[in-house]
Amino acid sequence: MTADESELRELRASVREFLEAKSPEEAVRKLMESEPRFDPAVWSQAADQLRLPGLAIPEEYGGDGFGLVEVGVVLEEMGRTLFCAPFFATVLLAAQALLASGDGDACARLLPGIAAGRTTATLAVAEDHGSWDPAMVSARAVLDGDGGWTVRGRKCFVLDGTTADLILVVARTVAGPTLFAVERDATGLAAEPMQTLDATRAMARLTLDAVPATLVGTQGAGGRIMAKVLDIASVGLAAEQAGGARRCLEASADYARVRHQFGRPIGSFQAVKHKCADMLVQVELAEAASREAARLADEDSPDFPVAAAVAHACCSRAYMLAAMETIQVHGGIGFTWEHPAHLYFRRAKSSQLLFGGPAVYHERLLDRLGI
Amino acid sequence: MESDDMQDFAAEARRFLDAHVAKAPDRTAVTWGEGDDSMAYFSSLPPDEEREFVQRAREWQRIRYENGFGWITGPVEYGGRGLTPVHDLLYDAVESEYDVADTGVLSVIGLGMIGPTILAHAQPHIKDRWLPAMYRGDAIACQLFSEPGAGSDLASVTTRAVREGEDWVLNGQKVWTSVAQHSQIGLALTRTNPDAPKHRGITAFLVPMDTPGVEVRPLRQMTGGADFNEVFLTDVRIPDDHRLGEVDGGWTVALTTLMNERATVGSEGVGPVAAALSPDHLSALMRATWTWDDRALRARLAELLVDVLATEHLNARALRKLRGGIAPGPEMSVSKLMYGQNLTRAAHFVSDVLGPRIIADTGQWGTYAWTELLLATPALRILGGTEEIMKNILAERVLGLPKEPATPAAKEVRS
Ligand SMILES: Cc1cc2nc3c(=O)[nH]c(=O)nc-3n(C[C@H](O)[C@H](O)[C@H](O)COP(=O)(O)OP(=O)(O)OC[C@H]3O[C@@H](n4cnc5c(N)ncnc54)[C@H](O)[C@@H]3O)c2cc1C
Repeated sequence: MTADESELRELRASVREFLEAKSPEEAVRKLMESEPRFDPAVWSQAADQLRLPGLAIPEEYGGDGFGLVEVGVVLEEMGRTLFCAPFFATVLLAAQALLASGDGDACARLLPGIAAGRTTATLAVAEDHGSWDPAMVSARAVLDGDGGWTVRGRKCFVLDGTTADLILVVARTVAGPTLFAVERDATGLAAEPMQTLDATRAMARLTLDAVPATLVGTQGAGGRIMAKVLDIASVGLAAEQAGGARRCLEASADYARVRHQFGRPIGSFQAVKHKCADMLVQVELAEAASREAARLADEDSPDFPVAAAVAHACCSRAYMLAAMETIQVHGGIGFTWEHPAHLYFRRAKSSQLLFGGPAVYHERLLDRLGI
Repeated sequence: MESDDMQDFAAEARRFLDAHVAKAPDRTAVTWGEGDDSMAYFSSLPPDEEREFVQRAREWQRIRYENGFGWITGPVEYGGRGLTPVHDLLYDAVESEYDVADTGVLSVIGLGMIGPTILAHAQPHIKDRWLPAMYRGDAIACQLFSEPGAGSDLASVTTRAVREGEDWVLNGQKVWTSVAQHSQIGLALTRTNPDAPKHRGITAFLVPMDTPGVEVRPLRQMTGGADFNEVFLTDVRIPDDHRLGEVDGGWTVALTTLMNERATVGSEGVGPVAAALSPDHLSALMRATWTWDDRALRARLAELLVDVLATEHLNARALRKLRGGIAPGPEMSVSKLMYGQNLTRAAHFVSDVLGPRIIADTGQWGTYAWTELLLATPALRILGGTEEIMKNILAERVLGLPKEPATPAAKEVRS
């Protein structure tokens, strides 16, 4: 299903209204210092009132069957407010991994709970080195005597890893990287929160000690699944980044209009004016790159993989620049704990490096272009 | 998203083009060592080849015009087709698939900027006289705005126009005037009232370039060629009916031109320079120079391509908005800025790939030729409004930041 322009505007308006009410700065600041780092009551309202978790899940699995364009609108808005919620891990990582696995049984079993907002989920790929490349995975899965699987190993940087009800784990079998489903209360699973640069995004380290797991998809398909998931997740992340960058730009322009020094608004100084113009250029490019990639994804276009890589790199850079310059435009006050600028700075840097950072996404783009 | 009407129009354009020209070769694909390796953004042809080039442009424009594609947005009474800017963009998109003569010499300034200005501000018989001639390819037009003392601050033009009976007499000097050497007419900004505030004492005239007293002197530019000129105006007599707009109301006329300038510049991504932004071409270059696996260069290539491809997405979205009947926002200005920056960064990236082979010609295909692009890139950050001016416009008009306070000097002019 595809929403037209006015439906997208409506979606944006209702998500914005919801987030302004439920996720003002004070709420974000409170959550980023609590455990869990999201408010379960707000999460279930997001599910019941706005049906956000099921937005992009096919109707046959209980969702509303929209695409990445619609999810992108939601993520831009979440990025603006630094909304603390298990949305990204559940919808962009776990649900997409299930869909990409092509495993109809697993989808029918697990997706309806996600779509309804009853189940939160995540995807555990990276290990201590932080790489999302499935070839780097060393966690292992073996068949136990009864035809089931057990997984052994450590996972790191797992988003919402201490709270997700369902954890999809990439582990190695003799056939190569493979996707498994692990329940939160499975025996042998331990999760400890990691200290994070961006406290609004919870991450955990998982220890899996012969944890019972269910095979998802086919053995050895983990590489193919992850390529698909990373493309979609990085476009989702790009939308979130574009939203955050737009918010930084707006804050800077607002401040530059009202803050006076030397008897004139600082925005009338060209050094400041040009910083804002540079931010605008980056934000326009970022929005174009992420929205265009989302559109190509929904059209199943062969141009999507290149566009996904462009969106990821473009939005990572745009957000980082916008977040840095926002502090500069605000001067001393921008460097205080009380000012929100550092929250955006932390989110921008952490998002830029989440899936490996510039060295990884540059090579990914060149690879996609056949270079 | 395209309506039936648009599809019919595109099909008609295709039929016309199929009947007259061949399909274009793909300029972004490359077989290393084969074909023309020119990277010229500005022409640096010898005079007779240059004349031939201009002749080919005129001929193609005439064929377009006679078949209803020469002035798609123009009113029917002046020889136009009476369609929308969206039809125009659509035609451009279709035509870019064909191997047609480069008509930039006519279209960028004359048809893109001066034509719309004449249409908006000239008297009817002047429109009758010049508009069909321009769009048929007979008359080339130039923009006589800049002066040695008036570039970014265009409102400080000092070329004088003084009324003498039914005529005006113009004296002064214009500079950096592109295509003046080929032009039949020029649109000049002159000062008619030195006592008025500077934006309010300017008047615009259409100057036939063969009027006695108009002297065009080629100005050699840093690429070595001479695309632009100095134009000296000495006692040039122009009849009052060649005035555009009100006496002392020329600034409004200038704004029409400048608005169209910003829409035109930056939209020309075709021609040899397309190769500079093509992933295939750039990767072929890295293979040919054994720099394929240089990690630092690969990272820079990726950064460059991110900008190039994101700019394409921006253009695609602006075009889609237009087709949907929505006026694009700041995309066009952002795109103009990025076009200049992307080509600049591409040229410097390639220089670093080539190393010494761009400082002296080894005779190797596709190496020293890049000097042509390298030397053209500074112009892209200046012409049609410098980067700094474009950023001022974005910050003030889009973000609503305050203008710079008037300096004492500017106040003096106004008082
Ligand atoms: C290839 C080429 C073709 C051209 N063709 C034509 C043509 O056909 N017709 C025509 O009329 N003109 C033409 N021009 C002229 C062009 O429009 C001017 O060069 C341009 O507007 C800049 O003016 P300037 O050269 O006087 O530089 P200046 O205005 O003197 O600028 C010098 C530097 O100061 C900066 N600066 C100036 N004012 C400000 C400000 N307010 N804030 C911040 N920085 C500022 C500029 O950005 C620039 O970096 C052409 C120029 C080139 C390079």
